[in-house]
Amino acid sequence: MRDVDLTSAAMAKLTGTTELLDREWAPCRNACPVHADVRAYLEAAAAGDFVAAAEIIRRDIPFASICGRICHHPCEQNCRRADVEGAVAIREVKRFVVEGLGASAPVHKAILQNKAAVAIVGAGPAGLAAALDLAKLGYRPTVFEKFPVAGGIPRTAIPKYRLPADVVKQDVDWIAAHGVTIVTGVEIGKDKTIADLQKQFAAVLVTTGLAKSRTLPLPGADHPRVLPVLTFLEAVAFDQPLDIGKNVLVIGGGNVAVDAARSAVRLGARVQMMMLEDEQEMPAWWWEQHEAKDEGVTFIHRRGPVEIVVKGGKITGLKHRKVTRVFDEAKKFSPTYDDADQAVAACDAVILAIGQMPDLGFLAGCDVKPDANGRVLFGINKATHETAVAGVFAAGEIVTPPGSAVEACASGQRAAKAIDMFLSGKPIVLNDATPPYIGTIDAQTADKLIRCDRNPTPTEPADVRAKNWNEFEHTFPEPTALAEARRCMSCGSGAEVVVDKCAACQTCFRVCPFDIPKVTDVARIDSALCQACGLCMAACPANAIVPKGYEPHALRDRVKSAVGKLPAGKKVVAFINGFHADAASWTGKADPAPAGVAEIYLSSISRLGPAEILAAIEAGATGVLVVTEPAGADRYPTTMRKAHAYVTRVRTMLKEIGLNPDRAQLAVRTAANRAVVVAAERDCMNSLIR
Amino acid sequence: MIVADRKPMEEILAMLAPYKRVLVLACGGCVTVCVSGGEKQADLLASQLKLAAAAAGRADVQFDVDCITRQCDREFAAMLKKPLDQYDAVLSIACGVGVGFMSELAPQATVLPGLNTTSYDASTAKGVWQEYCGGCGDCLLAETGGICPIVRCSKGLTNGTCGGTKTGKCEVSKDMDCGWYLIFKKLQAAGKLELYTKVRPAKKWSKDRNGKGARRLTHKELMETEEFSK
Repeated sequence: MRDVDLTSAAMAKLTGTTELLDREWAPCRNACPVHADVRAYLEAAAAGDFVAAAEIIRRDIPFASICGRICHHPCEQNCRRADVEGAVAIREVKRFVVEGLGASAPVHKAILQNKAAVAIVGAGPAGLAAALDLAKLGYRPTVFEKFPVAGGIPRTAIPKYRLPADVVKQDVDWIAAHGVTIVTGVEIGKDKTIADLQKQFAAVLVTTGLAKSRTLPLPGADHPRVLPVLTFLEAVAFDQPLDIGKNVLVIGGGNVAVDAARSAVRLGARVQMMMLEDEQEMPAWWWEQHEAKDEGVTFIHRRGPVEIVVKGGKITGLKHRKVTRVFDEAKKFSPTYDDADQAVAACDAVILAIGQMPDLGFLAGCDVKPDANGRVLFGINKATHETAVAGVFAAGEIVTPPGSAVEACASGQRAAKAIDMFLSGKPIVLNDATPPYIGTIDAQTADKLIRCDRNPTPTEPADVRAKNWNEFEHTFPEPTALAEARRCMSCGSGAEVVVDKCAACQTCFRVCPFDIPKVTDVARIDSALCQACGLCMAACPANAIVPKGYEPHALRDRVKSAVGKLPAGKKVVAFINGFHADAASWTGKADPAPAGVAEIYLSSISRLGPAEILAAIEAGATGVLVVTEPAGADRYPTTMRKAHAYVTRVRTMLKEIGLNPDRAQLAVRTAANRAVVVAAERDCMNSLIR
Repeated sequence: MIVADRKPMEEILAMLAPYKRVLVLACGGCVTVCVSGGEKQADLLASQLKLAAAAAGRADVQFDVDCITRQCDREFAAMLKKPLDQYDAVLSIACGVGVGFMSELAPQATVLPGLNTTSYDASTAKGVWQEYCGGCGDCLLAETGGICPIVRCSKGLTNGTCGGTKTGKCEVSKDMDCGWYLIFKKLQAAGKLELYTKVRPAKKWSKDRNGKGARRLTHKELMETEEFSK
């Protein structure tokens, strides 16, 4: 719980800033390697504003299309909804949003791109992310790529059933449009050297990643049907002919091994995966394991390769032995074997997918030398991305442990900051601290939330998808994307209490469906638990509760402006609970509302109190129509009952001053049906005299 | 807590009819707690007054809203956004204490009551307040099982029940509990019926408000002067 005690005086000073009312980060954002504002883009998507959502996504995620397909989504792993009934399908919503905008994603170029030229070696996620940020800062980045196309591993090794080439191209083109020059087919260390680049560019960033497959010195490993995994996956990516036989054995239990296995299945082979680890130990994501098994891949756990058995020039099998342990007591990789337990698994091709390593070819002809030990190469200072040679930086998987595309992007973005500091003559100091973020949801609060199950990703049946290279997962249809975005609980958006106004009256506690406010000297609302429904704000007799992340008077201003735009004559403001509304209705692109009706869509009408309804009438509305979902169909349990009570209250208040009570009306209808909403608006309009 | 309820709208409208610049003044104390006179209620009332004025074709009237922590303390009055006498009228939606004190502090201002002050209540359920104390100045609760006979007995008797009690209800209304029957049951349950049978001398009503001027509480250790008017 953040320790913010607001006062009226502090509130009064907030003009032009929302500092005290800034929402804390939700765990999804904190967990995202590039710290994408997940909550904000889900909220925009939930309101049907997919363009705004895409803008928010692209602000932090350079590979938005790619991440919409293949991101390992730590946001979802950390989604607080996981403790309710299932994480929000954040990646699928992102995929829907980004795909909808397609190639027309807006490009925000630097006004002046006249700063130093920077060379980047490798057009993968790290390199292109760095290039994009440098271009946005006004630098002139040129990215050199040894392959004939840019995109790195996502283009050259991730199979197209997971990530089609045109999806990668969309992100690459979008990055290039920011003023990033991409030169393909040029290999540094062969066609040019780093020294050459240093002469032409003010700084060089090496992001060559892990471009080489690790191999095993097994007897028989030199057979042409023993394929290093990247060689295999690259051939698949570039539609090159492959000779893998009918019975493939993949050695390895990581995600790349699974990619290889599932690709081999699509080439018509019977595929087994053999790995040292058991089911729990194997590093591949659990969902990848399931998908592979569904496609017919067999897993052989806890066996280590001994020899590739070659008879008559042909591979006939793989001799393997029992693994007695994979990790030692210190959890360090240190396998031991039982040589007494050996067997041969029949196969006619072997793919070695036991990991990747850097290809140090780029070092040829330059002063940068590799270190002797393991992964930390040529003296990289991980804190600053500097190598032993001034002006030469490194980022991505040659610096970090092996990871996902989004992690490489984060490393590239960090390196771009370092290079900017270096080229500005400043000391390189990178602060990786993130703002405070809220923790997990507690069980009592989770119990009180309305259950709303996660929508499954549309997936091709295993027997169909295993026979082709088409994408095996499909984009959500719009209603599903909306429903899923609306499952987001906007964590961290809770209410804040203005302490000098609070009378400790207990009203907030009494109206809260989740029992969150704790009233002692004043009310305190734990933002880690508050569901931001706004029922307490609408009810607080002291006006002491303010929402975080919103302008306190934003709704009234919006209503005023909407009423002002209506033609002379009868005017109706319709407050519509948008929880089930379609995007076109919410964004005003559907059948128009009847003449004279201004529609105000809200994520829930729980924040709407009598004051807001009366304010709309004061602003010039002849009538106000509140369209609420039937009881239980809103995201909060008591919305409909409260809406009914508040509209009734306003009707009494209107009657007291001699006005027609029908100027405030309630319609309990689902906004999912536009025709029904429009009919309610027409009824309201027709019922008003004048 | 002091409980008050909004006056009927026609009474408020009639009171304010002569005035153009009106302040609706909320109180952050008891009347906020009982959801009758806090800032939100002031906003709602001002909204109603504006709509009523517009409906009556009065474009020349203005309704402002202000709220102070308590209208019964002079220090909080210093926190008003504008002096009260700059308005033609101030509609205070505090209890009668606030109305009276504000008009004493701002003698040039016209301070009018927006609420009817009713009682000293407890919040017995969500949205429900019930009277528990008659403010008689001579508390009897020690002998009545905590049930105030001044409030609960329709005759305010200090020795009950009277002959008008019938199956636990009062002769005044069959829907009203007999206060002394409630006291009897409570004392019976507590094994203290001797308190019920005890004959209390006639109540000192002089401690109530009859003919003695405003009652006053003094804590000498907190006072700087003992001189004050009656």
